[in-house]
Amino acid sequence: MKANKKQVMTWPAMLVLLCFTLFPLLIMFTTSFRSDSTGALTMENYHKFFSNFMYIKLTGSTLLMSLLVTVISLVIAYPLAYIMAKKLKGLKNVILVLTIIPFFTNQLVRVYSWLIFLQDGGILNRLFMSFGLAENGLGILYTRAAVVIGLTHAFFPYMVVTIYMALERMDDSLIEASMSLGASKFTTFKDVIFPISMPGVMSGVTIVFVPCLGSFVEPRILGGVNGTVIGTVIEDQFFQLYGWNFGAAIAFVLFAMVLIFMGAFGALGRRWETE
Amino acid sequence: MKKGSFKKLFIGALAVAVMFSMSACGNATGTADGSASKDSSASDSGKTKLYVVNWKDYGSDDKDLIKKFEEENDCEIVNTYMQSEDDLLTKLKTSSAGEIDVCLPNCTILPAAIKADLLEPVDTSKLTNFNSLFDRFKTQKECLGDDGQMYAVPLVWGSTAVAYNTDTVKEAPTSIKCLFDEQYKGKIAFRDDYNDAVMAAALALGQDANNPSDMDAIKDLLLKQKELNKTYWQTGDEFSKLFASGQIDVGLMWSGQSATMAKDGEHIGYVVPEDGGIGWVDNFAIPKNSKNKELALKFIDYMISKDVQYKWASQGGPAPANKEAAAAIDPDYAKSAAMDEESLNRLTFMEYRDDKTKQEWNDLWTSVKAS
Repeated sequence: MKANKKQVMTWPAMLVLLCFTLFPLLIMFTTSFRSDSTGALTMENYHKFFSNFMYIKLTGSTLLMSLLVTVISLVIAYPLAYIMAKKLKGLKNVILVLTIIPFFTNQLVRVYSWLIFLQDGGILNRLFMSFGLAENGLGILYTRAAVVIGLTHAFFPYMVVTIYMALERMDDSLIEASMSLGASKFTTFKDVIFPISMPGVMSGVTIVFVPCLGSFVEPRILGGVNGTVIGTVIEDQFFQLYGWNFGAAIAFVLFAMVLIFMGAFGALGRRWETE
Repeated sequence: MKKGSFKKLFIGALAVAVMFSMSACGNATGTADGSASKDSSASDSGKTKLYVVNWKDYGSDDKDLIKKFEEENDCEIVNTYMQSEDDLLTKLKTSSAGEIDVCLPNCTILPAAIKADLLEPVDTSKLTNFNSLFDRFKTQKECLGDDGQMYAVPLVWGSTAVAYNTDTVKEAPTSIKCLFDEQYKGKIAFRDDYNDAVMAAALALGQDANNPSDMDAIKDLLLKQKELNKTYWQTGDEFSKLFASGQIDVGLMWSGQSATMAKDGEHIGYVVPEDGGIGWVDNFAIPKNSKNKELALKFIDYMISKDVQYKWASQGGPAPANKEAAAAIDPDYAKSAAMDEESLNRLTFMEYRDDKTKQEWNDLWTSVKAS
C-alpha cells in the first residue's frame, strides 16, 4: 500500500488544480455557450466568430506574429545557451542572471521602457539620426515591429533557460565520440548536439509561442494604431462591453489552438528523442 | 539522454507558461484598491446613517465637503464605492431594503433602472437648489420616466471633445472634423473606445450621435482617420505622456483631464467645437427601498447647492450642474474645462444602449482597428 500513501501527498495539489484551474475553465466554457439575449445555451458566439472573416484574419495575423517572435527568440537564444553550456565556466552564472532579470521586471514597466526607448525623440531615434541613418526618425513605435521587439524581449529568456538546461545535461563525450569518428563540426552539431537539445528547444518554443498568442498589453501599448491582435479583442469584450459570452468563446477558440500547437510541438520533440 | 526527461521539461514549460499568463492578467485587472469595502471610520452608533453608493473620491467621501451636512442633520454619510455603471445597476437590483439611500447612476443605465422600478421619483419642489441648475439639466431626458416624473437629479457633468496644443495650433478648432483632417496627419491621438469613436465620427458627419443613421459612412470615415493617427490612446496617462512629449497636436480628450493638465502647466487647450462633443452627466437618485428618503433628498439638495458645487469644482472636481456655482468659478479655469453653458448646450449626451447596439458598435470599431 506504499503507492497509495504517495498518492495521498498529491491530493492537496490536485485539489488546487481542480478548484482553481479546471473548475474556472469549466465555468468559462459554459459561459462561451450562453446567449447574450436569453442566457440559454447556444452556438451563436462560436458562429459569430467563424462567420466573420475579420476574426479569422486577426487570429491568423496573431499566429504569424507569435511565430515570428518564436523564431527570433530561438535564433537569439540558441547560440547564447550553447556558449553558456559548453564554452563558459565561471561567467555563465553571471550571464544566466542577466538573462533572467527581465523576469523580475514588472510587465508594464518593461513595456513603457520600450515605449520611451523607441519613440520619436527617444534614444534609438536620436542615435540613428546622429549617424545620419534616418532623417525623420525611424517611426518604429506604433508598428508591428515594435510589438515583436517588445514580445521578444519579454519571452526569449525562457528560451535561453530551457535550451541551456537541455544542453547542460548533455554528455560531452558524445561530441568527442562524434569528432573522433571523423564527423565535421557541422555534422556533429546537426546530427548529435541539435537533436539532443530538441526537447529544450520545443519547451522553449512552447513557452514563448503560447503567451504571445494571448498577449494584449505589448500589442496595445507598443502597437498603437497597428496593435490590434486577438488578445486585445478578447480584452475589449471583457472590459469594455462586459461581453463575457463572446469573449469566452474567442478565448476558447484560442485555447483549442494552443492545445493543438502544444500537441504538435510535443510530438515533434518526442520524434527527435526516440530517434 | 534519458527517456521521459523531455516530458519533465515539457511539463515544467507548461507550468511557467500558465504562471505567466496569470501574472499578465494580474497587471491588467489589478485595480481593486479595497474599493468594495465600506468606509465607516467614524462609528458613533447613535447617529442616523445615510448609505451612499458613489465613485471613489467623488464628493460624498470628501470630509471637508460633507462635514456641514453631517453636523446639521446629526447623521453620518457611509460610502460604498461602485466599480462601473453596470456594477451599480447590479447593486440596485440585489440590495435589500435600507442598504442604499443615495446612488449615482449616469445616463447609460438610468433608463434601465427607471424601467425596472428601482428608483423613487424625486419631488423637485422639495429641492431648494433645483432652480439653480442649468436649464438643460432640469429636464434631462434620461432622468425623466415615461410618467414625466424626475427620477434622478443631475450633479456633475463633463465632456469628451477636442484638446489641442496651444503652441502649434494657434486658433481653437471650431469643428470636430479637425480630428479627421489631413492637416494634422501623424499628430492626432484618437481614443481607443468604441463608443467615443462611433459618436465622434457621427458628429463629424452631422448624424445623430446617439442614433447614427449611416454606420457604413462612419466606418469609412474611421478607416480614413486611422491613417492620420499617431496612435490610439486608452488610458489618460498614455495621453498625457504623448502630449507632454510634443508628439500630438490634436486629440479626442476628456474635459476633466485637459483642465488638470492645463493647471499643471501644459500648453493644452480644450474646446467643445460648434458641431458638438460627447457629454456625460452623473445624477443622484434615491432607490425605492431606501429607508431614509427624506434625509436622502436633503443630501441631494445639499450636494447641488452653490457652495458645495463651487468648492468641489474649484478643487479640481468635475463641472457643476449648478449654474451659479459654474458662474463663480475662475473663468480661465472654467474655460480650460469647457464648463460654460455654451459648451454644455453643444453636447450630445451619451445615452443608454442595449447589448446588441454595444456589440454592433464594438464590432465596427474592432474591424476598423484590425484592418
